[in-house]
Amino acid sequence: MSSWYFGNLVLIQATMTGLLMALSVQVPLRMGVFSFAGVGSYGLGAYTAALLTIHLQLGSLQAILLAVVATSVIGLLLGLLIARLAGLYLAMATVAFDLIITVIAINGGTFTGSSTGLYGVLSDFTMPMMFTLTLIALGLVVLSEHGKVGRRVHAVRDDQQLAASVGINVRRYRLTAFVVSGALGGLAGAMNVMVRTTIGPLDIGFHLIVLALTMIIVGGAMSWKGAVIGAVIFTWMPTWLAFVGTWQHLIYGFIVAIAAVLLPRGIHGVFVDLTRAIQRRRRKPATPPPAESEPEPDLEPLMTGPTSGQATPPAGGSSSTSLLRGKA
Amino acid sequence: MISLGSIYLLFALGLSLTWGTIDILNFAHGAIFMFAAFTAYLVLDYVELPIIAVVLLSVLVGGLLSLIIQVLAFEQILKRARTKRSAEMQILIGGIGIATIPLAIAQHETKSNPFGLSRSTFDVNVWQFGDVRITNIAVITIIVGIALWAVTALWFRRSKHGLALRAIGVDSEVASLMGINRRQLALVTMAVAGGMAGLAGVLFTYTIGAIVPESGDVLLIKAFAIVILGGVGSMAGVAFGAFALAGVETWVLLNTSGSWTDAVAFGLIFLVLLARPSGVFGRKEVRRA
Repeated sequence: MSSWYFGNLVLIQATMTGLLMALSVQVPLRMGVFSFAGVGSYGLGAYTAALLTIHLQLGSLQAILLAVVATSVIGLLLGLLIARLAGLYLAMATVAFDLIITVIAINGGTFTGSSTGLYGVLSDFTMPMMFTLTLIALGLVVLSEHGKVGRRVHAVRDDQQLAASVGINVRRYRLTAFVVSGALGGLAGAMNVMVRTTIGPLDIGFHLIVLALTMIIVGGAMSWKGAVIGAVIFTWMPTWLAFVGTWQHLIYGFIVAIAAVLLPRGIHGVFVDLTRAIQRRRRKPATPPPAESEPEPDLEPLMTGPTSGQATPPAGGSSSTSLLRGKA
Repeated sequence: MISLGSIYLLFALGLSLTWGTIDILNFAHGAIFMFAAFTAYLVLDYVELPIIAVVLLSVLVGGLLSLIIQVLAFEQILKRARTKRSAEMQILIGGIGIATIPLAIAQHETKSNPFGLSRSTFDVNVWQFGDVRITNIAVITIIVGIALWAVTALWFRRSKHGLALRAIGVDSEVASLMGINRRQLALVTMAVAGGMAGLAGVLFTYTIGAIVPESGDVLLIKAFAIVILGGVGSMAGVAFGAFALAGVETWVLLNTSGSWTDAVAFGLIFLVLLARPSGVFGRKEVRRA
């Protein structure tokens, strides 16, 4: 076990940073904010932490903390700036934000190390710290999916007008999405630079946006579990596919394409459907047969009766009965 | 600069056409662009061809590829999607996913090295008009780009198909109630857009000599920016966006070290979006409660 752990340490670290980066895109997405700013925050966080360590010799935790604060603030400012954009326009603005950061990194001269980037970021960062920080961040994201906050997030995503009408401050939620996204992305970038000791502009290009998106789409966009699945798959796939040699990119492409087309809710969605199906099958024998056929007499008059126009959906009566029966 | 603008125009036109009408933002557009030029490069290994044949081949490959993607991916997504917004997302992501396949093939075959079309019988010549030096391929690109844009704009505005497409762009359900065959029109539109991408691919490769498999991605982001800059679905907007971006990029390139080009281009887009969230020529989104 421990030899496996040390042999794959790089991949374990990459899984954690990949997961946090994926979450930084997923959290806003869950609120209906189509923003890739988290990827830019990843770059910002990495550079900030690296600069703080190299120039000010700060300890790793302080450097990471400051980087996260900085990316959260920038996330907030960005959110304030582009809050009125929506959909793909918002996506484009955040892509532009990410790419501008890349170009600044290239043109930063000795400050950002231009195209070679910064290296020699040596610190006292340890694996227990990395596990702890990742778990804390993940835990907070998990909490945001449950209870009152989780329901409000759902409401903001599905129907903004409706959410606003029941007293949810939609604008504040959307801004929070930007801040959280900035913090998660910044944390991922800062931790990554601590374990890798280098950061360069090539590490934070457009491909990183594609990677983050790929992780949450193949894994599943609506739950942190999807991000975990995606981060694990896309960090470890090159190792699994090593046997196909140079064609692994092609297979990778096919997996992404098939998942994107056929699994709208990702692998996590498939799991959810499967467990529901299994539960339903288990429950079926438990319910006595009369209970199953009971709704029918009640529903039949509704379907055919004079009030049917209001009470039933326009879909065929038989199909909606069977649907109801399946649920009961 | 005008030549660069024409390439942008040709490429972004296809993207805008499918996005503005049948609501398909095809992120595989860049891969189609690259793969059409790549196929031409492969074919030229076996036979020497004149430029006309190379262009026709690329247009054909681009159109075909686009059709295949539409049938195998986007139609499947639309069939399964529950809401329009989730479909929009799925299509975007599906496009990114699909784009990795042609990219992987080209990267594998070329080992990610640049490839060109130098083996065709066409030679790039420089013509001198007084102080102005211009290549023959630049002239061809400009003429083809602007002519095709004009034809598309006219077709869009005047023809029955154009009217149908615009109707779909406004309200696809009502449009199909009016007897518009949405599927057929979508296929035609995708094929035309793909053909344009192929054409842009081959002209671009001739213009700069050689491209790398990743060139499509770079152009895709720029085209996305151009369409947003001009306003989705607006033909005038695409032309404006393409030449504005090309102009700004050229200006920055001439006045700075060159590595700032993208920052200025994207900074500009950022600013335009802040000032006019639906693009310079964008119409207000049609919203129904």
